[in-house]
Amino acid sequence: MNKSPSTKIAAFGENGWIIYFSETDNLLAQALYTNAITKKLRVIPGIIDAVAGADSIVARFSPAHLNSAEAKRAVEQTIDKTPFNDAPTPTKQINIPVCYGGEHGPDVKNICKQNNMTEQTLIDLHAAGRYRVMAVGFAPGFAYMGPLDDRLIMPRLTTPRPSLPAGSVGVAGGFTGVYSLPSPGGWRIIGRTPMPLFQAGGAEPFVFEPGIEVRFTPISASAFNAYGTSSA
Amino acid sequence: MKALATILEPGLQTTVQDAGRPGFRHLGVPHSGAADILSYTFANAAAGAPPNAGALECAIMGPTLKFECDAIIAIAGADMTPLLNGAPIVSYAPVSVKKNDILELGNAARGARAYIAFQKGVSGEAFLDSISTYTPASIGGHQGRALRENDVIFSAELNHGKPVETPPSLRIAFSQDFILRATEGPEAEAFTPEALNHFFTNPFGAGSRGNRMGLQLNSSTNTLTHSIKIMSSAVFPGTVQCPPDGAPFLLLSDAQTLGGYPRIAQVINADLPLTGQLKQGDRVWFHRVDAQTGLEISLQRQDLIQIVSSDFCFF
Repeated sequence: MNKSPSTKIAAFGENGWIIYFSETDNLLAQALYTNAITKKLRVIPGIIDAVAGADSIVARFSPAHLNSAEAKRAVEQTIDKTPFNDAPTPTKQINIPVCYGGEHGPDVKNICKQNNMTEQTLIDLHAAGRYRVMAVGFAPGFAYMGPLDDRLIMPRLTTPRPSLPAGSVGVAGGFTGVYSLPSPGGWRIIGRTPMPLFQAGGAEPFVFEPGIEVRFTPISASAFNAYGTSSA
Repeated sequence: MKALATILEPGLQTTVQDAGRPGFRHLGVPHSGAADILSYTFANAAAGAPPNAGALECAIMGPTLKFECDAIIAIAGADMTPLLNGAPIVSYAPVSVKKNDILELGNAARGARAYIAFQKGVSGEAFLDSISTYTPASIGGHQGRALRENDVIFSAELNHGKPVETPPSLRIAFSQDFILRATEGPEAEAFTPEALNHFFTNPFGAGSRGNRMGLQLNSSTNTLTHSIKIMSSAVFPGTVQCPPDGAPFLLLSDAQTLGGYPRIAQVINADLPLTGQLKQGDRVWFHRVDAQTGLEISLQRQDLIQIVSSDFCFF
């Protein structure tokens, strides 16, 4: 109960440290733990980047403020001082409308065939999930969310698609996510949301933060096309 | 706003860049900024512009522009044989231009990127305290994209200082062979000792798949194929990732923030500017250094650059 995962630390580049966390079956708790650590690290003078990955964090330091040993000590002390909570509650909840299948979900058919299910089952399974944001990154507005129903777990495409439209909703491994920008991508695409997930000019450019709960709601193609045209 | 110049020909990829957007990788926001921070710094210093002023980054094939006002400019980086009204002009030094003058940059014979700095800076759209252009998210610079024909760029009207020319010994010596000093990456030891030694002793060719995010490297041998699996973890400009097919990928200033391929090496900060000067067909060697040596080299280099730009910092 509430036992922190063990860690291993190693140099990454001439001004960075990488900390690996032992394997855990509670990915969400681990994700929130590493995010809590990096949040504390970012306010330490001389720490110029602290980025959480799935099972690691990387902290980079400015040698004008911290030498390598001091930076390492700051990281280790921050880890020691951060409690591990194995049942974290969501901070907020957002709902993302998704038009599943058809032109917006080119991988729906192959996932259904592979897992011997109907398109409606796939949609029901994905939309029934109560996902939590595990990590934010890769690109502005991209979030890794999970856990994913076992029946939707699929490997990445062996050859990524050269371009995907913004809003493409995909699955890969145990995660689901939404491509916030037009980009190449290897996740299997099951639908598309008309909701913008990164708005550089907006008051709050970023929708996601680690720990929040995300739900997906199926919408029709006409609702997809009409999104944003009403006063709502 | 004061019009600075009109783009007559945009070149291959001309973007507004500054020193970048550091410290936001946890939000998925890349560093961006000049791919060769050194030549960018030299251009600004030579123009008398403040250290973080917006400048034009010109990739491979430079632009042609017509000035809309009198200005002081300076050019640095890859030699694109700049011509002012058809006559050659010096680089790494201030040049006075008049309204309606035409500046024309050609192809880079050596290196990949040249910088055109303006004494009062180029203006651009700010996002997270930087006007550097990051085209994948359409942020910064001129509408978040590379410049096009007939675009007009505007002066930032910044307070400027005294132009400082770049001593020749500080400039990047351009050739088609690059040696990049690098530390072993977090997954280096997951490769066989033979593969790792091979990586640090043999040249790679800069491939055709390249942009500001990264550059694919080719090798005549295929010693780096592997089946190492890692969970998504932080990557940075200068990280060398190895996909299973064995063709490494060198990440540049627009690099994504997380990656799922093993990281075999990390280029030291002092040599990062060189990565922005690699183009297809160039050869690159990775020379192994330990972290402490890498840090000493970068700090010594930084100290020298501060002769020209006193606030310059690699970190």
